[in-house]
Amino acid sequence: MSIRRPSMAERRSSMTQEGSLRPPVVPHLAGLEKPLPETVPEACDVVIAGTGLTESILAAALAWQGSSVLHIDANDYYGDTTATLTIDQLKTWVERVNKGEIKGYQDAVLYIPRGNEFKSKDFGIDLTPKVLFCKSDLLSLLVTARVYKYLEFLPLSSFHFFENDNFEKMTSTKQDIFTNQTLSLATKRSLMKFIKFSLDWESHPDVWSPYKDASIETFLQEQFKLEKAQIFELIFSIGLCNNNETHTPEALARIKRYLISYDVYGNFPVMYSKYGGAGEISQGFCRSAAVAGATYKLNTKLVSFDPKTKIAQLSDNSCVKINEQIIISPSQAPTDSKFLSKQNYEIQRLTVIVKKDCTQWFHDNESAAVVVFPSGSLESNNKQAVQAIIMGEGSGITAKGTCVWYMSTIETGKRGRDDLEAALKAMEGSILRESSDLDTQDYFDNANGMLNSVKLGQSFKDFVPKEKIQYILKFYYIQFTSIPHAGVVNPNLYRKNSVHVEDDVDAPDRGVIYSSLPSSEISYDGIVTASKILYEKVVGSDDDFFDVDFEDDDDEGSIANNLESAIAEDDDDDEHIVEPGAAPVEFAEDMEL
Amino acid sequence: MSATQQEPRFAQFKLVLLGESAVGKSSIVHRFVKDSFDDFRESTIGAAFLTQTIQLDENTTIKFEIWDTAGQERYKSLAPMYYRNANAAVVVYDITQEASLERAKSWIKELQRQANQDLVIALAGNKLDLESERKVAKEAAQAYATEEGLLFFEVSAKTGQGVKEIFQSIAEKLPLESQIKSKSQPKSVNLQRPSTNNQSSCCS
Repeated sequence: MSIRRPSMAERRSSMTQEGSLRPPVVPHLAGLEKPLPETVPEACDVVIAGTGLTESILAAALAWQGSSVLHIDANDYYGDTTATLTIDQLKTWVERVNKGEIKGYQDAVLYIPRGNEFKSKDFGIDLTPKVLFCKSDLLSLLVTARVYKYLEFLPLSSFHFFENDNFEKMTSTKQDIFTNQTLSLATKRSLMKFIKFSLDWESHPDVWSPYKDASIETFLQEQFKLEKAQIFELIFSIGLCNNNETHTPEALARIKRYLISYDVYGNFPVMYSKYGGAGEISQGFCRSAAVAGATYKLNTKLVSFDPKTKIAQLSDNSCVKINEQIIISPSQAPTDSKFLSKQNYEIQRLTVIVKKDCTQWFHDNESAAVVVFPSGSLESNNKQAVQAIIMGEGSGITAKGTCVWYMSTIETGKRGRDDLEAALKAMEGSILRESSDLDTQDYFDNANGMLNSVKLGQSFKDFVPKEKIQYILKFYYIQFTSIPHAGVVNPNLYRKNSVHVEDDVDAPDRGVIYSSLPSSEISYDGIVTASKILYEKVVGSDDDFFDVDFEDDDDEGSIANNLESAIAEDDDDDEHIVEPGAAPVEFAEDMEL
Repeated sequence: MSATQQEPRFAQFKLVLLGESAVGKSSIVHRFVKDSFDDFRESTIGAAFLTQTIQLDENTTIKFEIWDTAGQERYKSLAPMYYRNANAAVVVYDITQEASLERAKSWIKELQRQANQDLVIALAGNKLDLESERKVAKEAAQAYATEEGLLFFEVSAKTGQGVKEIFQSIAEKLPLESQIKSKSQPKSVNLQRPSTNNQSSCCS
């Protein structure tokens, strides 16, 4: 730990004196101000290995804080564990995983049927697919750090929910609830009452604290008299919980996350970045770090680190003296490393690209959807939910007329794979039925003017598809992580990795700080927290984490200050569950009838 | 933002810079942006990229978003994001360094491989003020540019000679109409503008 050093703004007083009333934060302007050095620097404050999203945010935060950062990656692409890969890159990745060259993954299988003509470059497959809640710490950080300017974000409003062999549209908005004719008046009232409560649940411990250690399902049944269908929707679609045993406070935080994100930018709770999710956002933060002076070097691996001399040996035969810390992703641990923490949690992922545009699942003018298969909804009698992110051609990650289905579950072993296959089968059946010509009975959902397909709500038990789904690829793998499932809102989970400097063990990773592999969470929640904790380990406190104040651009008007609250939020209270954002939401007000 | 015409046309383009670090690609942009923008604010660069507008005619304003490599090209570590959706590129070499033209050529190959097909590329030989030390014949570079279908200029970032012309010529060559058209139906969300009355709203 070191004492807080002067920030970038303080250090660069010479730049800020002239001509400006308010001294703006002026970056290094790497390459503009001074000639670039020709070789890897011989010394730097921090070395970071791995350009995954957590590490990239960390690199940018440290660079803007004033640390000199050398950011390396063993791969020849950005993103590491959160990369967006072309099909050719995927092939190489699978080979390397199966040779044991990429830590944290196993059993990778890539199936590419013959006879399909495609361009590898037309596809960008995320190793860690995610969606961004409209009110979340990462969103605020993208705005504060101006990284959003490098990216394009698209709305996602379709959350489908699979039950009794059916795809159901979610009734998550007040319009949906009011107009849903299958709901009784009493149910509507209970649902409204619960939604209102959940927006401010922290202030009503009297209601939930008796259920602190009980499941959310019990809580919703007993306290709000909700029926199973609504309970499951709340738990699995809105809360994106893995199972109905999730503890009440945690599930409430997750449900609230969805509700407060709704109507922030429009009638959708989440967004995703075009051309690739976490892989794109990682690149954005790396660019931000580079602008602030960080040095980037791909194709470079840490060979060893000596905590006594503080010299790191890199795979290109160069050495770097590190003034402060070295942080590495477990995926890039040096050969024979000994201090990697146990990766006890398993995530199974199945990603397919189908030759169908799947527009039936998307809202008008959108290109993505979330589909959730709750516990017990699949043929495999799944215990854990299967969550799926669907991305069509408008997402910029897949060729015209094709669609990517990202499925994941926390179920382990063979059961996990069976669940994923069962979910795939259910989705195949659904899309074949919906895109078939047998049934063209569409209707307008008058209440919100949306064209909805009635086929979405029909069982497909009796449906015999005429065609088969054609795949461009099918891609399965197991990923491990040290982050417990669904525990992403608790900063404590990220504090565990400590630095080992035992003298008696000879290991190439003695004295390094490990970051963590991506969690099972399909939103970005937890990532900024993880970066902040690493930042704190380097700088001593996270008080000035991205404490930058860029001047506004000429054409964009004032920055949305109301979005920045989540970043400034204090998470020093470790026992507390940190909740991104807390402002009241518009539609909470007019919800009462 | 200032004088408004009856029907002003506005289009924004992404322009990327490439070239060896010593050739002065950055000073060319510095010259371009500073010269014609008296209230130059450097902080904008730090946040994202340099921006500069050009008045093409009475009604038409073009805004360049100028992306510097920020040093990421040094170890061949330029991210795909850098090339994505770029409309124009300025590839700079130094007329007093023969090898720098060869580097510029390899960047142009990289651009043709990575970037959009309709990318407008300008090859710019810098340091025209050092005519006496010239190592790269104008004719040779010009011939190469013609062959590859590139715009070609010799400039001096130091004196400013020829700098504006690069950007002016690029602006004239860019597909203005299609850009205005595509920008008029934005589907992406502006993260700076949270709104409960978003145009993407389906239920008004």
